[in-house]
Amino acid sequence: MTQGFAVDRAFATVAFKRRLAYKIQWMVALVLGGGAMLVSMAMWRNLLADGALSGYDWESMRAYIIIGFITATVVFGAADWHIADRILDGHIAIDLTKPVDFQRARAAEYIGSMISTVPTVIVGVVGAWLLFDPPGPASALAGVLTAVSFVLIFPLAFGITYLTVLVCFWTKRYIGVMWLREALLGFFSGMMIPLAFMPSWLQAVAWALPFPHFTTTPAAIYLGRVDTAGALGLLAAEAAWALGLWFGGRLVFRQAVKKVTVHGG
Amino acid sequence: MADTSTPGRSLTARHVGGVYGRSLVAQIRAITEYPADFWVMASAGVMWNVLQLAFLTVLFAAVPDVAGWDYHEMVMLAGLLSVAAGSTALLCDGVWSTGGMILKGEIDYRITRPAPVVVQVATTHIGMQGFGEVGFGLVMVVFGWIGAGLGLAAVPVGILGILCAIVIEGALITVFCAVNFWIKGPMSPFAFMLIDLQNSAMNLPLGLFPAGVRIVTMFVVPVAFVNFVPVAVLTGHLSAWWLIGTPLAAVASVLAAVGIYRLGLRSYDSSGH
Repeated sequence: MTQGFAVDRAFATVAFKRRLAYKIQWMVALVLGGGAMLVSMAMWRNLLADGALSGYDWESMRAYIIIGFITATVVFGAADWHIADRILDGHIAIDLTKPVDFQRARAAEYIGSMISTVPTVIVGVVGAWLLFDPPGPASALAGVLTAVSFVLIFPLAFGITYLTVLVCFWTKRYIGVMWLREALLGFFSGMMIPLAFMPSWLQAVAWALPFPHFTTTPAAIYLGRVDTAGALGLLAAEAAWALGLWFGGRLVFRQAVKKVTVHGG
Repeated sequence: MADTSTPGRSLTARHVGGVYGRSLVAQIRAITEYPADFWVMASAGVMWNVLQLAFLTVLFAAVPDVAGWDYHEMVMLAGLLSVAAGSTALLCDGVWSTGGMILKGEIDYRITRPAPVVVQVATTHIGMQGFGEVGFGLVMVVFGWIGAGLGLAAVPVGILGILCAIVIEGALITVFCAVNFWIKGPMSPFAFMLIDLQNSAMNLPLGLFPAGVRIVTMFVVPVAFVNFVPVAVLTGHLSAWWLIGTPLAAVASVLAAVGIYRLGLRSYDSSGH
């Protein structure tokens, strides 16, 4: 068991260091995430100038947008390409000969790469805090539970990403799959627009998917839109999705791995 | 290294056009070999725009306008940007490979061929998401056009806007990908930033942003002329005089792309030297 964790830690550390080696990625992530955040701030400040809409006033929206920035930076900045490339270029054939679980090793690498985005998040959040002075969490407990929901995003993001990366067993390129996933995640998580603005049927669709836990869940807990029991329920649902996607990934991998072809062989 | 972006000054536009056309046809043939990829990529292009339309529809159920722009005008704005981006993916997606080719020294043999290097690089790939983006983007433009009450009389202006949008978008991406001649790397982070920030900011009216943003997007990196200016002129948010700037921005962008790519080729020293 201890040796298993040591291997996980080694994979995560290598992925973390690999990401840190490309310093320009930090700048890119900060410009992209920070730029999107500033654009959202400009739009919502204009729209909420006359008062609240769908339960959001300018004060709560500022916190909401910063929470969206945090999750977007961590999730979109992770190294999903690394997993996809190993399937597409045939390196997976080597991975399958190693005495480590393929999914667990990729999870460790993926989470290591997510951790490498933390410096970008810190710089972005500190800058946003100074510029926009958002409200603090509804309570100390809400702050702690928001942090827990952020932590659960790590395995949840891996579960969704891994399942979509496995599509590469059937395709020759990954970018289209990635765009599909990011488009769905951006919309149904509430990053583009809070779910509260959507009609009830569309909200039902969103809550039937794992995506709302990327922005709506941490924001709802942080802003006190749910009481403690509700927050714990949301965290339980988030954890259940992470667990379900983990085992879903195993099932799909068993079928997908039969499709492995390396340079036509 | 010598400037070889236009080898043999006697190269005619017909010859270059022929090379460009044949290269693109070869890529289309390659696409047909991988139907799963085609459908995934085209679906991604459509889905991105469907969700953009859904975002606007949800937003405008709660607000009557955004900085004075109504629903149909905003749909046109998003649709025109999508058509421009999708067309670029179909017509010159290979420029995204510039950085990788520089690192691997793959520009070498392209320099020896009797066709402009930028044309050869641009046609090494087709972004299949472009089919979905152009298709659904046009649907959004037409939907917004009808909803905004624009008639057939404005169609020539619309066509001019679309053509200039495609040229400006393709030229600006080429400029930002050419940065890799000096800042080496397999990816094109500056072009990626351009596209991403364009998708964030240029789907919204420029009136939302500070004056500095408006000046930069109109006169420094003229992305405003891709979708904002043509739609603003068509819908009466800007005077018709602004339309003159659209072809001017297209010409300036193309000259910048050709010039910067040429400068990049001069500083290109292959791999490992």
